[in-house]
Amino acid sequence: MFGITDPSIWVGYLLALGFTLACIVYGLLNWNNGVGEQRDGS
Amino acid sequence: MAVDTGLFVAITLAYLVIIIGLGYLGYRQTKENDDYMVAGRKIHPVILALSYGATFISTSAIVGFGGVAAQLGMGMIWLTVLNIGLGVLIAFVVFGKRTREIGHKLRAVTFPDLMGKCYGSPFMQYAAGLVIVVGMPLYTAAILIGGAQFITSTLQIPYNTSLIGFAAIVALYVVLGGLIAVMYTDALQGGIMFVGMTILLALTYVQLGGVIETNTALAGMSDLVPQALAAGGMTGWASMPAFGSSIWLTLVTTLVLGVGIGVLAQPQLVVRFMTVKDNQALNRAVLVGGPFILMMTGVAFTVGALTNVYFYRTQGVIALQAATEGNVDTIIPNFINASMPDLFVVVFMLALLAAAMSTLSSLFHTMGTSLGFDVVRRTGSQRASMRPIQVATVVMIVVSVILAFIMPGSIIARATAMFMGLCASAFLPAYAHAMYSSKPSLRAAKMSLVVGATAWFVWTAFVHIKESGALGLSDLLFGVPAVLPMPWQVVDPLVIALPLSTAALMVGWVLDRYGVPAEKAAEAA
Repeated sequence: MFGITDPSIWVGYLLALGFTLACIVYGLLNWNNGVGEQRDGS
Repeated sequence: MAVDTGLFVAITLAYLVIIIGLGYLGYRQTKENDDYMVAGRKIHPVILALSYGATFISTSAIVGFGGVAAQLGMGMIWLTVLNIGLGVLIAFVVFGKRTREIGHKLRAVTFPDLMGKCYGSPFMQYAAGLVIVVGMPLYTAAILIGGAQFITSTLQIPYNTSLIGFAAIVALYVVLGGLIAVMYTDALQGGIMFVGMTILLALTYVQLGGVIETNTALAGMSDLVPQALAAGGMTGWASMPAFGSSIWLTLVTTLVLGVGIGVLAQPQLVVRFMTVKDNQALNRAVLVGGPFILMMTGVAFTVGALTNVYFYRTQGVIALQAATEGNVDTIIPNFINASMPDLFVVVFMLALLAAAMSTLSSLFHTMGTSLGFDVVRRTGSQRASMRPIQVATVVMIVVSVILAFIMPGSIIARATAMFMGLCASAFLPAYAHAMYSSKPSLRAAKMSLVVGATAWFVWTAFVHIKESGALGLSDLLFGVPAVLPMPWQVVDPLVIALPLSTAALMVGWVLDRYGVPAEKAAEAA
């Protein structure tokens, strides 16, 4: 994939990009959530 | 690094003026203790994300670990996977929200303070503070050495002047402006780093002929792996080392797991979760934090590995052979200096300076608050007082500078991994327990902290050859540099100490819950 033949390398790249995408999606989906949120702690 | 010094000096001076300006803004906005300690708990999410990322990523993460990628190849990308997956997603979503909520509720202002209040135990606060006060100066000194070496090589300023000047400029805004000044300057520095690394990735692939062609060329260089590295299990720069080999163990346990997991319990990062007013800010910060870290370590490791293609094409050697005096820390600077346009060389140097300053300022602040507030504050006083903390910060800065003069320059990357390993081993299980247990067990936390820190120290001093050989304690007591044979000598202390620390926490929790029924019954009564 993209010139890299060892799956243990390109899977790493896919996961790094996947987690980055997950951060973006999480941020967008929860953009307006948690305003003034104050739950009880321990 | 040779560069247009005049241009770099001019840009650096402009940058320093802005940094001092932001520091002054932080100073003006710091009116109460909460402002100094936790930035008034009202930091903007983008500033939080950039500050977290810029603190997380030091110069050694870019130059040092990028150099390691040049030596060991693209397998380092697994550290980026953990940096984003654990260091941002899990850190913010799983730990960050609970930390913020509990920190607000208990009015905690430092990581040791949070631990002490969660467990209702001054011991936890003092112990956590002590680990920071004792362990963090080593890491801080390493960052100082890296920054001073960099300034010396770029501006031709004598090393001692560089070191003291570098520490003094950062100290100025940390001591006077507290965490607001630290986070404002971090955000600017993070922005510079993001721009620098983005251009670096783009120019590298453009110069080398595109993504697929360059990666294919790198994959085709496997027969150039030096004999010594091949014997250690290395198979090429676009493939993982042989499973279970000494290089595989070093890559996976020390670099990927040691640094990747270690970030979760870094006091200077944890305190940032308590600087925002609600969970919305944390949600938004995740959006910025993930791409930021990808563009830091992901780019550094990729470009690091690809320098082999560049040096082979231009000089007929691999990156390791192009390093100055065999020092892998010089590979990235040598590559940039040789291959990039002059203007970008200046931009990248500024990014490196920013990376060093942003990490350093946060460490100064964390050490100062730990010493001044958590360790030596007057017994019974629950309020933080700014003046003793400022004095304590100055004391810790002086200690770090002295250490930087004493420690060898080659310790930079090792000190980073060591501090992260110590923090995770000592704090992570107890921190997680405090965040997610409705009634956390103090006995379990104490056992975890003591077992984790002790196991980490024993493995570091007597087994892990890189440290045990350098420390000399094992040789002094047992006449050998490491008391266990290979492959244990290359297994990182964190991989041993963290499971032991977790096991100790579980044993303590079980003892607390089931081991003392009489006391429980008395308490219940």
